Amino acid sequence: MKFPVWILSAGLALGAAPPMPEWQPDDLKALKKGDLVPGLLLLTEDRERSVPVAPEGPVPTPEELAEASKPSPVVAEKYLEGYFAKRPEGFLVDPQGLLGTKEHRDRAKFLDYHSGDSRIDLFVYLFDGHQEIPSEVREEEIVERHFSQGRPAVVVYYYLGAPERSDIYVSPLISDAVSSAEQRRALASSVEEALEKPDKFAQFEAFCVQLSIRIYWMEKAAGLVRDAPPRVAALPRPEAVEEREPEHGELALKLQKVLREWGASAAIMVGAILTVVAGLWVVRSRSRYRFPVFDVPPRLGGAHAAGIGAVISFGSTTQSPSSQRNDVPDYLGL
Amino acid sequence: MKCPRCVQVIHRGATVCPHCGFGIAEADAKYGGEDVSLRRLADVAGLIRNRERGKVAAAIERFGRRFPQLFFAVYTGSGQGGGNLRQFGFWLLNRAAFEDVPVDRPNEAGILLVIDAETKSAAVTWGYLLDPFLTEEDTFQCLSRAHAYWLEGRYAEGTLRMIAQLEKVLKKKAAQARRDPERFERKVAPPPRTGEIARRIREGHKHAAVKTTEVSR
Repeated sequence: MKFPVWILSAGLALGAAPPMPEWQPDDLKALKKGDLVPGLLLLTEDRERSVPVAPEGPVPTPEELAEASKPSPVVAEKYLEGYFAKRPEGFLVDPQGLLGTKEHRDRAKFLDYHSGDSRIDLFVYLFDGHQEIPSEVREEEIVERHFSQGRPAVVVYYYLGAPERSDIYVSPLISDAVSSAEQRRALASSVEEALEKPDKFAQFEAFCVQLSIRIYWMEKAAGLVRDAPPRVAALPRPEAVEEREPEHGELALKLQKVLREWGASAAIMVGAILTVVAGLWVVRSRSRYRFPVFDVPPRLGGAHAAGIGAVISFGSTTQSPSSQRNDVPDYLGL
Repeated sequence: MKCPRCVQVIHRGATVCPHCGFGIAEADAKYGGEDVSLRRLADVAGLIRNRERGKVAAAIERFGRRFPQLFFAVYTGSGQGGGNLRQFGFWLLNRAAFEDVPVDRPNEAGILLVIDAETKSAAVTWGYLLDPFLTEEDTFQCLSRAHAYWLEGRYAEGTLRMIAQLEKVLKKKAAQARRDPERFERKVAPPPRTGEIARRIREGHKHAAVKTTEVSR
């Protein structure tokens, strides 16, 4: 059984093989003379191509080559205006676009939420982990210049992927109330939280959340809050915020619908009730009470009065008024 | 109707107490027979602070407006009643000439609160106009409302509470009197004379005899 199959497959293989090259008569003559060396064309082409070109200047070292492949550590000048020209309009300052669209939206939303919930705003200037702020930019001066007016703010220079390089500054409005030691502690706590996360975006998220919590402590220290709302528990995830918005919208719509349908009637009814109550109050307050006058014969020789009411003693704080009611004849008390 | 001295019930129109013989003459002998000039708020003992005096005066004024026939007066003293607040109140309301009360409101229409700082006690006396309407129990209710405040020495507040409670009681009584005045008139009607009683009994027998004859026919 195997044999016929082998024969068949070998035959098919022979039939499908490409034809072998054949020597031209001239080439065959040159080969025999020794003028033609097989494969010489390939060898001569490689040799010509691999001819080294003599460098014009000094040859760079490997360190220099590696250094040249890295981007410049200083923030490019074109971004400086986006960072430092004016007080930022958003709480997340990232003119270089270091964050992706989703990350940028989530972090900006969180910082917006923080601003709505806190009396101290949180501004984050975002740089790449290897970047340096140019020496001519003084961070403290930027904070003083842009954050002296308006709501008090905490300004953080955050280096994506290197949270330990972060710097914190507070606006002059709260610099007296929040000591630099307290600022450092808040920053250190936030950096610790960030370093527990594996990737740089999760680090940045953890950093922002922790710093937001610490800012609440700063608020308390600065006397901007008096009671303690359940703030930490109320910190919503961005998804949760997105889910709640439609609920609020639906409620508002329902409320508006009910108000449109019943608002006028309810207002009239409440107005009528209030009017009646006010009228009753006025009538009662202006009421005059009269008694019929009867002819009462005088008693005990008194020309005007002989109505003897109760006598009460208020000498003891431990006894009830009833027990301190004086029913004893006066002559027995003498 | 009780005697201010022996606190026994006395009959209407008694010139002196049939039990102890007390009368205005005895009170005059004790406290003086001359009329006494007073204002409605006479804080002789100085129990009410200056800044609270206005509130009490306003409450007294409001009482006068709500009850156009009546007036309310407060007298605070220290041992002037000699421990006999009923007798002293009885005497004072009969002898006082209130300067700030209109002449159309005689002492018969007055309600007098006497507070004695020395014996730490208070009493209420009223004029004849209120005889059918006020009872000793009513005045005890009013004094009870003030008791807690007076215990703490807050005399003005206590007096305000007392006046408020008195207004409630009198409003209720005024409404009842408007609906059924005879009920209150009976309380103060002069007592029937002995001969009158005998006449009524005889008339009753006559009526009964006539009816019996009619039935026998």
